Amino acid sequence: MIGRISGRYALRSLWRHPRRTILSMVGVGIGVAIGLIATSWMRGGTEMQIRAVSESGAGHLRVVPKGWTARRENTLRLPDAPAIDGAVRSIPAVELAAPRARVNALLAFGNRSAGVEIVGVDPEVEQRANRIVFKSRLAGRYLKPGDQNTVVVGRTLADRLRVDLDDDLYVTLSGPDGVRSAMLSIVGVLSTGARDLDAGICHVNLEVMEKISGYAGIGEISILLDDYRRIEETRRELGRQFAGLEVLSWKEVNPGIAANVEGDRGFMRALVAIIIVVVGLGIVSAQLTAVMERRREIAVLTALGMRARQVVGLVVIEAVSVALGGSVIALCIGGGVAHWLATRGVDIRALMGEEFGFGDVLLDPYIYGDFGSWIVFYALAVSVAATVAASLYPAWIASRVEPADALRT
Amino acid sequence: MKPRTKEALVSARNLTKVYKTGKVETPALRGVDLEIRAGEFAAVVGPSGSGKTTLLNIIGALDSATSGDLTVLGRQVRTLSKRARADMRLLQLGFVFQAYNLIPVLTAQENVEFVLELQGAGDEKRMRAREVLDHLGLSELAGRRPAELSGGQQQRVAVARAVASFPRLVLADEPTANLDGENAEVLLRMMRELNEQKQITFIFSTHDPRVISHARRVVTLVDGRIVTDEET
Repeated sequence: MIGRISGRYALRSLWRHPRRTILSMVGVGIGVAIGLIATSWMRGGTEMQIRAVSESGAGHLRVVPKGWTARRENTLRLPDAPAIDGAVRSIPAVELAAPRARVNALLAFGNRSAGVEIVGVDPEVEQRANRIVFKSRLAGRYLKPGDQNTVVVGRTLADRLRVDLDDDLYVTLSGPDGVRSAMLSIVGVLSTGARDLDAGICHVNLEVMEKISGYAGIGEISILLDDYRRIEETRRELGRQFAGLEVLSWKEVNPGIAANVEGDRGFMRALVAIIIVVVGLGIVSAQLTAVMERRREIAVLTALGMRARQVVGLVVIEAVSVALGGSVIALCIGGGVAHWLATRGVDIRALMGEEFGFGDVLLDPYIYGDFGSWIVFYALAVSVAATVAASLYPAWIASRVEPADALRT
Repeated sequence: MKPRTKEALVSARNLTKVYKTGKVETPALRGVDLEIRAGEFAAVVGPSGSGKTTLLNIIGALDSATSGDLTVLGRQVRTLSKRARADMRLLQLGFVFQAYNLIPVLTAQENVEFVLELQGAGDEKRMRAREVLDHLGLSELAGRRPAELSGGQQQRVAVARAVASFPRLVLADEPTANLDGENAEVLLRMMRELNEQKQITFIFSTHDPRVISHARRVVTLVDGRIVTDEET
């Protein structure tokens, strides 16, 4: 138990060497500020990558037929899709639910051909749910409900086939009843800016998909949530409702990006940990010096009857005070930079050129940091935890001062 | 020697203390037998290096004897845990050091309150500290920090700190060593008053002949042995 006078003693002791105390606070502040900025960058970057994956077709969650994970067969279709679609949309966390159906096909024009995965979509939903549609430059128009035998392709695909708007593509695919073919008229050409991504874009209406492929219904419902942090709870809810289906998260749909995100997180955490350890060692050194300077005084306190844990308490109070000062500095520096990152963002075009695709994911040319009330908690928690942890060794040394020895010297 | 009928606060039997520095052994106490009874005002005298401070440190549970038996306030010091020793120092003993050893960042009053706070005293500690300072004529110094006090004033505050909780036994290690004659006289009178009025037992070490004259009992140590033990 630390009382009023003990508290005063600890706080006033800090100001015996104001320069040392201020430098310690600045050290903690800068270290925690770097951690805060790195965390803001990591959280913002992670959220943006998850959003990019989800909005590029994977969804935060995806409901697929049983057996999809094992077979990755895109001609599998959901049983009683309308009921599933209705149930999915009724979940409060669900912002958008995009039904899709896929099939592999060969597109041909003249003597040129290209293999592609045709995606059947609900045009109205797709224009809101799929960033490959709503973030791309579009020549012509996108699909409309009721369109017959129309198709929207990516710019690279169009260039390979040397086609453009109003050209008719010959489609050949393997349906349930054998090889099928159809003619599709190009009404739009999408340019995402990522050549590889544009090579795989081929959208038709769900009705057209049914007609040309012979596979009835939809193969998946991609779900976008209002907050990616609700993925697991929504997944459990969907799992309860649809025991006969598979509910996948974006990580399972796109494990490459998931590994990338986890790698970035791990690197940033390691970086933050290293910075905090270095700052902590600085605090250990400063506090150890302070304890050694006051060895005789601590001996007097012990002689007067102060218990070891009370001596530890004094050193920890001093550490917490340094931590609080450090957290204010961290908030001023780190909070300012995090706010700048969150509002202005960092243009990564210099690093990536004009290509913002990663696999079949359309990334953003800017990365924005995360900024919110969490930074106050972060600055306080990390400052206090690191500084108190760093003070434990000096506190232990202080608690072991033998009064007779220290008073004799 | 008058018969001693009061309770023995300190009882030492064949107490020895040997300091070891590497392979070098330096005996500081060599078979000390001593009994201090409640209400005594005793001086431990002797030249530098005679073992005075060591004896006081061992009686005050600040240090351990190498061998021998020591009972302080009815408790075998050897058997006490570190925490029990700290509790005994806090609740039953008072200390006055040669170099005052006030806490420099606390005012005189806070220095006195500090010990009361460690004892678990609540809001009354401020009042009690004030009473003690008033009683010892130090009230006008209450708000000053040690650096703003003279040596004599600091040592009087140190005595106030030592007696604030009315301990049964106060150990004072050369309390007047850094004081001039006048201040030493004032301090000794103050300690004597506390001894007589509050029945606090004092054991103080000194080699200052002016101080020795105030003691009612003088124990003389030479080379770690008691050579005389006289009541005056």
